Amino acid sequence: MSSTPMLRRILAMLFAFALVGSACSSGDDTSEATDSDGNTVTTADDGNGDDGDTDNGDGEETIELVQGDGVLAAVQARGTLKCGGNDTLPGFGIIDADGEFSGFDIDFCRVLAAAVLGDSEAFEILPLTAAQRFPTLQSGEIDVLIRNTTWTASRDGSEQATFLHPTFYDGQGFMVRSDSGIASLDDAQNTTICVLQGTTTLLNMNAVLGDRGISFTPLEFDSNDTLQPAFVAEQCEVWTSDASQLAAFAATLDIDVTVLPDIISKEPLGPVVADGDSQWAQIVDWATMATIQAEEFGINSGNVDSFLTSEDSGILRFLGQPVEDGDGNSAVADVGLGLPADFAYNIISQVGNYAEIFEANLTPLGLERGPNALWTEGGIMYVPPFR
Amino acid sequence: MRLAIYFVVAAVALFGWRFLRDVTTKRDTSNRPPPWRDVRVLAVGIQVVAVGILFLLGSWLWDNFNTRTDDIGLDPFDFAFLDQPSGISIADSDLNPNSPISSALRNGVKNTFLTIVVGIPLSVLFGTLIGISRLSENWLLSKIATGYVEFFRNIPPLLIIVFTWSVFLTGFPPERESWEIGDLFIFNNKRFAGPSIASQENFVAYRWLMLAALALAAVVWVVRTRLFDRTGTPHRRVLWSLGTFVGIGVIGYVALGQPFRFSTPDIVERVYEGGVKMQMPYAAGVFALTLYTASHIAEIVRGSILSVDRGQVEAGNALALSGFQRYRFVVLPQAFRVAFPPLINQFLNFTKNTSLFVAIGFAEITSISINLFGQSRPAPQILFIVMGIYLTFSLVLSTIGNLINGRLAIAGR
Repeated sequence: MSSTPMLRRILAMLFAFALVGSACSSGDDTSEATDSDGNTVTTADDGNGDDGDTDNGDGEETIELVQGDGVLAAVQARGTLKCGGNDTLPGFGIIDADGEFSGFDIDFCRVLAAAVLGDSEAFEILPLTAAQRFPTLQSGEIDVLIRNTTWTASRDGSEQATFLHPTFYDGQGFMVRSDSGIASLDDAQNTTICVLQGTTTLLNMNAVLGDRGISFTPLEFDSNDTLQPAFVAEQCEVWTSDASQLAAFAATLDIDVTVLPDIISKEPLGPVVADGDSQWAQIVDWATMATIQAEEFGINSGNVDSFLTSEDSGILRFLGQPVEDGDGNSAVADVGLGLPADFAYNIISQVGNYAEIFEANLTPLGLERGPNALWTEGGIMYVPPFR
Repeated sequence: MRLAIYFVVAAVALFGWRFLRDVTTKRDTSNRPPPWRDVRVLAVGIQVVAVGILFLLGSWLWDNFNTRTDDIGLDPFDFAFLDQPSGISIADSDLNPNSPISSALRNGVKNTFLTIVVGIPLSVLFGTLIGISRLSENWLLSKIATGYVEFFRNIPPLLIIVFTWSVFLTGFPPERESWEIGDLFIFNNKRFAGPSIASQENFVAYRWLMLAALALAAVVWVVRTRLFDRTGTPHRRVLWSLGTFVGIGVIGYVALGQPFRFSTPDIVERVYEGGVKMQMPYAAGVFALTLYTASHIAEIVRGSILSVDRGQVEAGNALALSGFQRYRFVVLPQAFRVAFPPLINQFLNFTKNTSLFVAIGFAEITSISINLFGQSRPAPQILFIVMGIYLTFSLVLSTIGNLINGRLAIAGR
């Protein structure tokens, strides 16, 4: 009489164990996969899934297998590019009157989307504060950071970031009200200086003013939206930032301001990717440099189609057009970056060359090309050959 | 995963033991429900599953974190960076960019502490007044208090802080046109300054003397209280203690040849000399957060006053106590006991909300940590530290609160 309930009881217990057991074993699997991170089984699995989408060349087979879970595959699978950007800096990254992101940095995000996905609108901008940008990049939440970010050794070294070809060569400057009586940095003794949190600007300010024996009170904001009214209301006498930014803000302020002659730093601004995926880094690098190369070739969005039948084999290669070899065989050269052969064409036709991007965003603010002119025109914009 | 194995072993042991116990004791289990309807089995089973799910979720998150930090080569337990130069400076502090990161963090802790040590007492004081006003029989007063509570309680604190800051920013003049009140106070949109005591000769000795005077005043307080308890003579302890303290102070001041003088603030070439000064963002932040927290405290105070039995008030009236006496001796002591536990919560909220000062440029601990991870310092470690600091603040506050609460609770109920 007692045997049946007892049996049920045992069965129920077994059931409970099975529940717990299955829960735990699935947990085991997860950690197993993590422990053996990078072993062939895991990567081969991922790689197979991506092969269909991305594989064009022969030599890439192995690369794809090794880096099958790379950013490129993720972007292509997702169909959009995620850029970290700025939303409060006129000229570089700001939300315009139509509610759309626009600016110099945003255009480079477009450039990258055009190169990788063939569609310059296939991108999303995640607006970030200066302090958020590296943790966000580290976490893998964005594919690339294009947010007026200065390339420095310590960022390359300890932010797990890889900096790529600068898009803008800047320098740190200081802005004061024209009626403040401050004519150079040495007059700024005991002033309050407004600066954005978590920037190299803040580090430079502390280091340089400390070295020159200028005492000051730092006033740090996390956004230009609060910094600007503080400067206008004279909570701080001095506003320090990259000279290009100061010029951009000076153009929008109602008060008379002067940018001091002291430029205290080199600020090369460029795109940044997370460490650990060199294929993706190269893609971002070459997509960026293609805009500069295009300007050097004289190719812009208006005339790019006329270059498709160019006599210059360098230009044809650059635009991904078939080039005839000595035997009369024509073939499209693949440089092996993992990008479509016509990525430069897509960039130029959809976004434009470097000069166009600069003139659309920065020239209206009164910024000169200066060091950002081509090397052939006295600047330092120089890119390696596309061959 | 080792934990999961322990977990399974423990579950097996538990069930096995129960099974064995039932078998060996040969209990009659025939009239018990089957296990899937047995409340005891279900209760244990559900808990086992719940803990399992929680554990899996946690280990998934941790794996996620570790996978990423491994990918980018970050060791989340490397704290050696704390000794490196911070590269930042902090307003009104002698920290320089070459000071180590640990001292920058200490400065942040100090600034956070300064906000709560001023803000919490102000919030309690103001909140209590508002709470009492809400119950006032004066129609206007009670409606104003109600409006105040409903307004501030329903707005996110960040908005109140930024709004107050912008009012201070545009309401107070720039430094070169500072408002001065008879040499004593200076107000501008950078800093507020007031008079203070500046040390002269023998000031150290005088400080010790005043400490002794404070102790003596406390003794006098206790003695007078005991006398009152024993004989019923009016104790007048405030008068007696204050008299002792001030008396010793005056005698000491004369005897030690004027060890201090009053120092009034002055701005010379943008430098504040003399007096005490505070940064405008500090004042704005503490003011805003006090307004916000007071609205919550007012509700707690009102609720706890209403929880005091009406008979107590009537009894007070019957004894011909004045309105103040009724509150001071009858209602508030009883209400406070009810109000205290939720008040501790508000203290903790105040502490955590100070992190919002980051928006208005006050260098408290969050602001400094944000600055640090903008300077290529590892974010996970700094976040661990900052979380630890807030946790410590909260635990200390609630420990103090619980101690006081324990004393209050023993006295009654």
